[in-house]
Amino acid sequence: MEHVLEFGRPVLRFPAAGSRDQGARSLGETLQAVAAGDQDAFTRLYADYSRMVHAILLGRVPGRDVDDLVQDVFLTAYTRLAGLRNPDAFGGWLAAIARNRATDHLRQAREQERLPDEMPGGESIDAETFAVLEIVRKLPETYRETLVMRLVEGMSGQEIADRTGLSPGSVRVNLHRGMKLLREKLGPAKPDTTVHESGNG
Amino acid sequence: MDNDYLWDPSAPPDPEVERLEQMLGRLRSTTPAPSIADLVRRMPGHDVLRWRTARFLGPALAAAAAVVLMIAASWQSMRTLHLAPGWDVASLEGQPRIGSAIVADIGRLAVGQTLTTDASSRARLDISTLGAVTVETNSRVRLVATRADHFRLALERGTLHAVIVAPPRQFVVDTPSSRATDLGCAYMLHVDEDGTGLLSVTAGWVSFESKGRESFVPAGASARTDPDHGPGTPRYDVTDQRFRDELDFVDEGPRMEGYASALAYVLEHASVHDAMTLWHLIPRVAPSDRGAVVDALAARAPMPTSVSRDAVMRLDKAALDQWWDSLGLQDASWWRLWKSELGK
Repeated sequence: MEHVLEFGRPVLRFPAAGSRDQGARSLGETLQAVAAGDQDAFTRLYADYSRMVHAILLGRVPGRDVDDLVQDVFLTAYTRLAGLRNPDAFGGWLAAIARNRATDHLRQAREQERLPDEMPGGESIDAETFAVLEIVRKLPETYRETLVMRLVEGMSGQEIADRTGLSPGSVRVNLHRGMKLLREKLGPAKPDTTVHESGNG
Repeated sequence: MDNDYLWDPSAPPDPEVERLEQMLGRLRSTTPAPSIADLVRRMPGHDVLRWRTARFLGPALAAAAAVVLMIAASWQSMRTLHLAPGWDVASLEGQPRIGSAIVADIGRLAVGQTLTTDASSRARLDISTLGAVTVETNSRVRLVATRADHFRLALERGTLHAVIVAPPRQFVVDTPSSRATDLGCAYMLHVDEDGTGLLSVTAGWVSFESKGRESFVPAGASARTDPDHGPGTPRYDVTDQRFRDELDFVDEGPRMEGYASALAYVLEHASVHDAMTLWHLIPRVAPSDRGAVVDALAARAPMPTSVSRDAVMRLDKAALDQWWDSLGLQDASWWRLWKSELGK
């Protein structure tokens, strides 16, 4: 058995290789269906990967822009799906698109001298939450992304590994080192002197 | 399972992590999946195109739309030109530098510029149509070229990890002793100060080439390189250390002391899995040793009936390719193709 992802371009053939191939084949079929315009397949793909994309963006750009950028990322992925030959690489590929989109957005925001606005969709989010998020955003990228996936998106370590393509060991290390750093930065009391009183330590 | 709530949310909760989850979880996205049609409507120019074709639009509005399209096209063209000559750089740790300038968060590496990391800094190069390249500590990378279908770096020293999603053969990394051409893959490339290096492939294939030698390195395999000999013979990483050491001796060439015994060891201890390695050795060993290598490969991967031993001994490319194809690794045609296209 071998998996062949054909989108009308030169493709590589992937020999079967145990359970990983089973997962890749299933994702490969979903990707093929999405490329063919299958809405159900797209909805499944979005459900599986949008939290990862949201986390990567939220770790970098103002919250109010994130939902819009998530759609931009999926649009970019949809239009470039033909260039993806290895379904195993989809998670990392999509993450790279999200990081690039965030970088572009920040550059454009700087050029336009826009001030960050942290009010996503008008929802009431308290200042302490944003203060903590700001601290998370200052963590090294590796830890930041993994922590946002875990603490904001509620993904398990295994889910993070499955979606990003990182090894479970790397995810576990990133989670624990990131959490250790976050604890140090949060300190024993409040995360920031400017936050509202919340009763939490 | 292992009582690690940070890893497994179904484990007994860690109160502090749980509190952060509850707080930050309010930022979680609840936006449902858009329809593909909605997504496509976000594409620049989509509405303009749709309006242009609507029956109720008068000629004046159509002309206006055309002007908008021209402006949009010009803007896109200018934007592409603006972005084309460089790559985005993100600092991952410490203070990487572009030239003498520190990259605090993000920066841009222009063609001809060099990105340098020290013992405590790392950086990532991003280009959305290509993939990402992580530059590890103590490394020096120069951007040689970036065009729509050709991206070239020079790794002068240090280590990089590349995850490439662009079509095969668009991404090339020069090292002091070999050229690594991506054939759709993820890999690690390391170069020491003296120009020696190591390529390890984790997914797909990489071509490693210099001085008329070429190695096609599959996932799970590595190849050394040095300025005197170019790329070494690829070997799977699961082979034992002795086998790899002896293969290194063979790569030094027939004049190297111990070459004969090293070759004998490799031919005797190669497994069926090492057919890929033996195939690469056929043109590399001395002509007087070629027959032994051919026999060793034939014992592990029978020569196709359409291939003659004489043709292989003459290093007939078609014969070698047919034998390669029979190894069940990948058809030779596609990686031969990249060379012919590069040579255009």
